[in-house]
Amino acid sequence: MHKLMMGLARSMAILGGMVLSLLIFLTCLSIIGRLLNGAFHSDVMQSIAPGFSNWMVTWVGPINGDFELVEAGVAFAIFAFLPLCQISAGHAAVDVVANAFPRGVNRFLRMITELLFAAVLVLIAWRLAAGTISKFGNGETSFLLEFQIWWALGASLFGAVVAAIVGVYMGAVRTIEFFTGRIQVWDGVEGEQ
Amino acid sequence: MTALEIGIASFPVLMILIFLRVPIGLSMFLVGLGGLIMVTDGTQVAFGRLKSETYSTFSSYSLTIVPMFLLMGHFATLGGMSTALFKAAEGFLGHRKGGVAMAAIGACAGFGAICGSSLATAATMGRVALPELKQYGYAGGFSTATLAAGGTLGILIPPSVVLVIYAILTEQNIAKLFLAAFIPGLLAAIGYVIVISIYVRLYPESAGTRPAIAWAERFANLVKVWPVLLVFGLVVGGIYGGLFTPTEGAAVGAFGTGFIAWMNGGLDRPNLVDSFMVTARSTAMIFFIVLGAGFYNGFLALTKVPQELADFVVSQGFSPWMVLALILAFYLIFGCLMDSLSMILLTIPIFFPVISVMDFGLLSLIDMQADAAMEVLRNGVPEGMGAEMLTSIQEAIATGTELTREQMKELGIRVTEGRVNRIETEYVAIWFGILVLIVVEVGLITPPVGMNLFIINAMDRKTKMIDTYKAVMFFVASDIIRVIILVAFPFITLLPLLLLY
Repeated sequence: MHKLMMGLARSMAILGGMVLSLLIFLTCLSIIGRLLNGAFHSDVMQSIAPGFSNWMVTWVGPINGDFELVEAGVAFAIFAFLPLCQISAGHAAVDVVANAFPRGVNRFLRMITELLFAAVLVLIAWRLAAGTISKFGNGETSFLLEFQIWWALGASLFGAVVAAIVGVYMGAVRTIEFFTGRIQVWDGVEGEQ
Repeated sequence: MTALEIGIASFPVLMILIFLRVPIGLSMFLVGLGGLIMVTDGTQVAFGRLKSETYSTFSSYSLTIVPMFLLMGHFATLGGMSTALFKAAEGFLGHRKGGVAMAAIGACAGFGAICGSSLATAATMGRVALPELKQYGYAGGFSTATLAAGGTLGILIPPSVVLVIYAILTEQNIAKLFLAAFIPGLLAAIGYVIVISIYVRLYPESAGTRPAIAWAERFANLVKVWPVLLVFGLVVGGIYGGLFTPTEGAAVGAFGTGFIAWMNGGLDRPNLVDSFMVTARSTAMIFFIVLGAGFYNGFLALTKVPQELADFVVSQGFSPWMVLALILAFYLIFGCLMDSLSMILLTIPIFFPVISVMDFGLLSLIDMQADAAMEVLRNGVPEGMGAEMLTSIQEAIATGTELTREQMKELGIRVTEGRVNRIETEYVAIWFGILVLIVVEVGLITPPVGMNLFIINAMDRKTKMIDTYKAVMFFVASDIIRVIILVAFPFITLLPLLLLY
């Protein structure tokens, strides 16, 4: 079970990383296009080779609406990154005080925390689904590219649902750990206990 | 309970949750959600906001810079650039007293220019420099402390992820904040080098010696840092040259460091997957805190707590410098317990409104008017200006009185109180941001929970944590002295802005 969940979280992270890399390429291409377009519009190029320059500016330029793709893509990537952070206990927390508590108390706190986290992730996924449905209903499109906004929300929803599944799984793991007293998923935090 | 009372009551609840090891982002989200439900009498408003708020937070264009800078920083660790930087710095400094440690600081500063994360800088430079320091007989605690302190340069020298978050929270220009961070960042590096030279004189046995190398070899090593300079020049030059936005700069930087890592054979498949994993974990962590903070701050704004607090502080007539000193001291203490990003997201929405209503008197209306008037008059008296008018203006400048609307109109300048206040507000925001950045970074190297100390100490099994703690206090002292200097002389921080804008 843990292997499956870990595999799921890692695959999502890799998918998110690939989308992020693609967006980086896209942004760089767009910048090059914009700079070249400016260069062909410049007086120097216009006087040396007017025909060639005018032909070049017709197809060399910034990618239209690149920032819309960056926004939608990064949102998906971040949702895709959530499961890994969840399963590997990557969230920042303050543990100076909690370290002084007895082991049992800490395990109890951990169970409650993970269950709350799972509930919040389910809530986020549920509300995002509602948001997606309402965008689907009103057919809102993006400003420049005019793609359907609900596509972007739907992609993010996929990440949010996986995050919720992994969150619930981790909540279950910590609950079992508390009641059986046997650690099942080690993530380094138990080391000092 | 009134909304204001609920807002005030939310602080202790939030603090208790955080100290029970509930992740900081989750704590803020829960308290914000609960508070919103209480204030608005039902789940309708809170759940309605959630429908779009997660997506709009994660897709905010100015925040997309964060994962790109993180990926850039991680690619930078793979490209052999850290080794090149260290070798170059070592060539010039290594044979001096404490020179290898100084070289480590220099290399950290260079690496900080392409990496926006302190932990990544500390970890990368630690891998490169720690074995060398040991080899030349540097004491364990001194070596680890040097590298932990050097790591903080990763975030002090732009690009810097923490500054991006500060810029977004306070609606300031990211490029201007990066610019303002340069001089304080360099002062930090210089301060650490001074600390090293004092330390090796106090404890001569803590540092060994290393033979000098030939000048030809030094320059050969220096040439090898060209990829770092190229990426840094491209990103920073592009942003300030107006060629691209900071987010685009981050994309160019990530592509650049990735390309160099790939050319050097550092970016194979396992490393790429590993980069994605590290980036994924830090990105998800940061954005969950951003989301929680957004929710919590939205709730706080509804209860009007930040506004009331600002009004209260003003009505008490505290000295602005006193308030600033208290806030910075608060960060120094809390920095020992909490990570820098969480602390900024948690506190800036509360402290910033207070600071921005304070009058630090950075600019003076009369001086600015006099400067502008002199500038005009130096190019000759404007046409059609009567002799009487000219005398009255000269008199006003000489006696230091405010120019009238009429006089300014004749001169063709517009230096009104409103405009001066606007500029002053921006300067205070930027200056305060840099000060906060420094004090929260000190938290990375102060015991008991300095993350940089843990990272470096984990690399060196033989050094006891207590030795690192002892040596790092010298670096903390230099940090505190630097903060005092920067508070006393705001224009050190603002100088690049005055020159460029």
